[in-house]
Amino acid sequence: MIGLISYLVFFATVASILAIAVLGLNLQWGNTGLFNGGVAAFFGAGAYGLILLGGTEQADHIGGFELFYPVALVGGILLSGLIAWVVGILTIRLRRDYLAIATFGVAVAFENLMRNAEWLSGGAKGMRGFERPFEDSIADPFVFNIIFFCFSVLVLLGVYLFLEKLIRSPFGRLLRAIREDEVAAQSLGKAPNQVRLTAFVVGSMIMGLAGGLYATFYAFVSPQDVLPTLTFQIWAMLIVGGSGNNQGGILGAFLIWAAWTASGWMLSKFAPVEAQLYTGTLQYIMIGMIIVGMLLWRPQGLLPEKLIVSQ
Amino acid sequence: MFVRFFKSFRCLRHALLLGMVGFSSTVYAQNCTTKIGAVLPTSVDWGRPIAATAQFAVDLANDAGGVAGCQVEMVLRDTQVDPKVGVDAAKALVDLEKVPVLLGAVSSGVTIPILTSVAVPAGVMEVSCCSSSTKITALAEEGKTKGLWFRTFATSGVQAAVGTMLARDQGYKSVVVLYKNDDWGQDISKLTVRAMKSLGINVTNSIAINDGQASYRAEVTEALKGNPEGIYMALYPKEGISVVREWLSLGGSQNMIMANSMKSDEFKESVGLKYLKNALGTDTASPRVESASKFVEMYKARFNSEPNGPGLANSFDATMVALLAMEAAGPNASGTQIAAQVGKVTDPKGTPIKADTAGFKKAKEVLKSGGSVMYQGATGNVRFDANGDVSAPAVAWSFTESGTKEERYITLEEVDAFMATMQ
Amino acid sequence: MIQHLLDGILVGSILSLGAIGLTLVMHTLRFANFSHAELLSVGAYAALVFDGIFGALYPQIRSTLDPLSLTWSLILAILFAMIVTGLSAILIDKLVFRRIREKGDELSMVFASFGVAMVLRNLISLFFGLKSQLFSNDIAFAIVISRDPMILVKPDQVFVLVAALMVMLLFHLILSRTTFGYALQAVAENPVLAQISGVNLSRMLKMIWLIGGSLAALSGIFYGLNNQINPVIGRDLVLPIFAATIAGGIGSVYGAVLGGFLVGIASNLVLMILPSGYSPAVPFLIILGVLILRPNGILGEARA
Repeated sequence: MIGLISYLVFFATVASILAIAVLGLNLQWGNTGLFNGGVAAFFGAGAYGLILLGGTEQADHIGGFELFYPVALVGGILLSGLIAWVVGILTIRLRRDYLAIATFGVAVAFENLMRNAEWLSGGAKGMRGFERPFEDSIADPFVFNIIFFCFSVLVLLGVYLFLEKLIRSPFGRLLRAIREDEVAAQSLGKAPNQVRLTAFVVGSMIMGLAGGLYATFYAFVSPQDVLPTLTFQIWAMLIVGGSGNNQGGILGAFLIWAAWTASGWMLSKFAPVEAQLYTGTLQYIMIGMIIVGMLLWRPQGLLPEKLIVSQ
Repeated sequence: MFVRFFKSFRCLRHALLLGMVGFSSTVYAQNCTTKIGAVLPTSVDWGRPIAATAQFAVDLANDAGGVAGCQVEMVLRDTQVDPKVGVDAAKALVDLEKVPVLLGAVSSGVTIPILTSVAVPAGVMEVSCCSSSTKITALAEEGKTKGLWFRTFATSGVQAAVGTMLARDQGYKSVVVLYKNDDWGQDISKLTVRAMKSLGINVTNSIAINDGQASYRAEVTEALKGNPEGIYMALYPKEGISVVREWLSLGGSQNMIMANSMKSDEFKESVGLKYLKNALGTDTASPRVESASKFVEMYKARFNSEPNGPGLANSFDATMVALLAMEAAGPNASGTQIAAQVGKVTDPKGTPIKADTAGFKKAKEVLKSGGSVMYQGATGNVRFDANGDVSAPAVAWSFTESGTKEERYITLEEVDAFMATMQ
Repeated sequence: MIQHLLDGILVGSILSLGAIGLTLVMHTLRFANFSHAELLSVGAYAALVFDGIFGALYPQIRSTLDPLSLTWSLILAILFAMIVTGLSAILIDKLVFRRIREKGDELSMVFASFGVAMVLRNLISLFFGLKSQLFSNDIAFAIVISRDPMILVKPDQVFVLVAALMVMLLFHLILSRTTFGYALQAVAENPVLAQISGVNLSRMLKMIWLIGGSLAALSGIFYGLNNQINPVIGRDLVLPIFAATIAGGIGSVYGAVLGGFLVGIASNLVLMILPSGYSPAVPFLIILGVLILRPNGILGEARA
């Protein structure tokens, strides 16, 4: 029983962290119509930024400033924001598919830089040397995981409330106005690209926050954490959950992550001995079918966008 | 093609049959099972054989009557080479399946988060066949692995040194280095380049080979510049095939030196033996006892091919050491208790035991009587240092019709002496 | 320099073939089809199977056509593989994309295509194993064109380039000279309007899948001829093909061809400046540059 709870806490922690990134993406896509194909880069910037600023000194790369945890976390978020700002200035006027591939390129370049620039990021070996806050004073790892889970959920809740307030504000209305009809918004004297850039930067900073929490939880980050798979996972969560709906995004995050992991568990449990070596491949087929099936069943997402009346 | 697919199923059926034979001979002994967890990338080309080899070791132990009075069940999960997925799978194995030992992972980027966020906090022992990152040694030195960590993959220093030694002995004056652009490849290329330079061998270039590129032509064209006499490669078979075929077709030298990852039938067949006559490989060595050839024989009987491929011998040893330690620790032992027994089963003063069913049976008797054993596995007399790292003697090999043959055995002392001359 | 340029053109021709089909689908059906590159694997494996069957049935067609490593049986297999792949593209559309198209938006299609790609790739690896395979185990040696500067070319690559260019030319003639070509362009431009003008839309969509699929098969087979065949061809080539499509401008067949060459050449030339570890990122950075200058790709047009 304790084992099950321990696992579920662990699962829910990772799902909550991913859900935060989904919410960031929902601000960009669901509310503003920005097709960000580079989620992994902004998530990764938060993760790398945190360990760079908050970790202990390492021989092979820069960093090791051992900053106070919240400061390091904010530092990572600001790094994501900075990258998003530069990328945004260059690409924000691009439309959908073009923006997607441009930002995707940014993510590939980010992963590549982290993999090759050993002086900066430890190279392919990744970055370690981060002490999880309070881990030493909490002797029982189970208790630590529960506390960290609560912390992640609180952050998720905070981000959710912030975004709900934001999209109901005049600014949120403006975002949707630009998404629906840019020219009309322009005719009313609004500057669409400026507004888009703001949404892009804020959304990316939320992804950076998720990345920071992720690196805190694992006390390690490597280029393998920022591969394009991550971008795909976050997107699938949003689309299946329901883009434009924050609750849908969170639901999607938990569901897709559950499908992703539970499929492996079920196969290892129930597949016959002969098939055990092929379960990895079968698992991918199952995940693919679940995603396709959900989209066939409810293409608009489980919780579609609701009409929001801004105050 | 289809044939291969069915062949692999036939192997599995064969394996199942073997397992059943083992079961029937030991049916009197027990009707309980004890679990061992494995988190390995079974959906990746080089990952699946690693998992199959681990299962093979488990079956051998079961033929010998199981471990600590119970049959062993290996619960296998795929990592998808995604740290999140691997860590979650490990956590599920520890919490839901209650495994005291985790085998894996392969990529250090997956192994490290499993170690820091699952294995160590839960007091579970982790043995990796294939993670080479020096970051893990650093973790161990800081006491963060709490003695729960072991790996059967010798650190890259020895491989790099032996590769350099071969280049010197072959008389190559200039060499180009090609390496897989991951943690292992970056490490081994850096060490090899340094070693070669210290011997006065001209390294014309050192080129990273990324996974899954549309073409390796550009990389090979770069490598050909300066007409190097030899080529040193630390690649995996899949990229290795593309790179070497390109290299040869553009007139590159057949003087090749390869890391152990390229000891693969797939590589040999796709490139062609006729082009590999001058190709030498390095690897960690098997012990100078008959058990090593026995391992090869057993492996052939089971899989219908030689144990050639990245990490196979290491995976076998990782599993065997874990199972022996489980045996030594007795029933219902915790990960910490099992980890504490690793020294007892890899004791250089202990009774030597072979890596087969008879050897496992003998080990059980010795351990029962309170003695210690020296496990002589597929990669040598496995012995871990305080950080869970192994060092092993080395061997130079070449490809033959049927697989590979040993060209030269290089003792640990010889390697150490050679490494000392470089500094 | 010249060698790198040449190599880039050769790789580029393979990418171009893949990009033509993708650009047609992306333009007509308005969605980024991430499963398109899996059709390359389908084509390559189909050719492998047919080659094996034909070679076994008629051993006399197994001999290679010197100096190429190609055989008649493989050439025959290529034709069959193209048809099979085109038909599988139609089948996938019928099973998945058409149903989602009827009620969902384009993003649902994009992510369904991700799911389809995962299923296809892993089905292939389940049936054919994860190992690399080759059409021919022989190594075709390169021919020295010039010694200073050193320029080497493989006969197979020249064949691939010539064949790809011929297919592109043929496609160009169909597009610009036949009523079918005009209808195809009309559908790509504006499906509703084309339908009003009497074009049978659903048949045209099938044709687009058939053409896209068979060109993808050709691209995959040529890749296999030059490199190797494995179940992750699609995963490895999806990004360069997308890059080529988008750099060229979505909807423009000529843009796709140009984009393919651009990506091929760029990823070859870059090694002259940067360490090879950085090479995967470079095509994308070039595309970023192209898009900053031309937000709708080189030959693309702005569309609401």
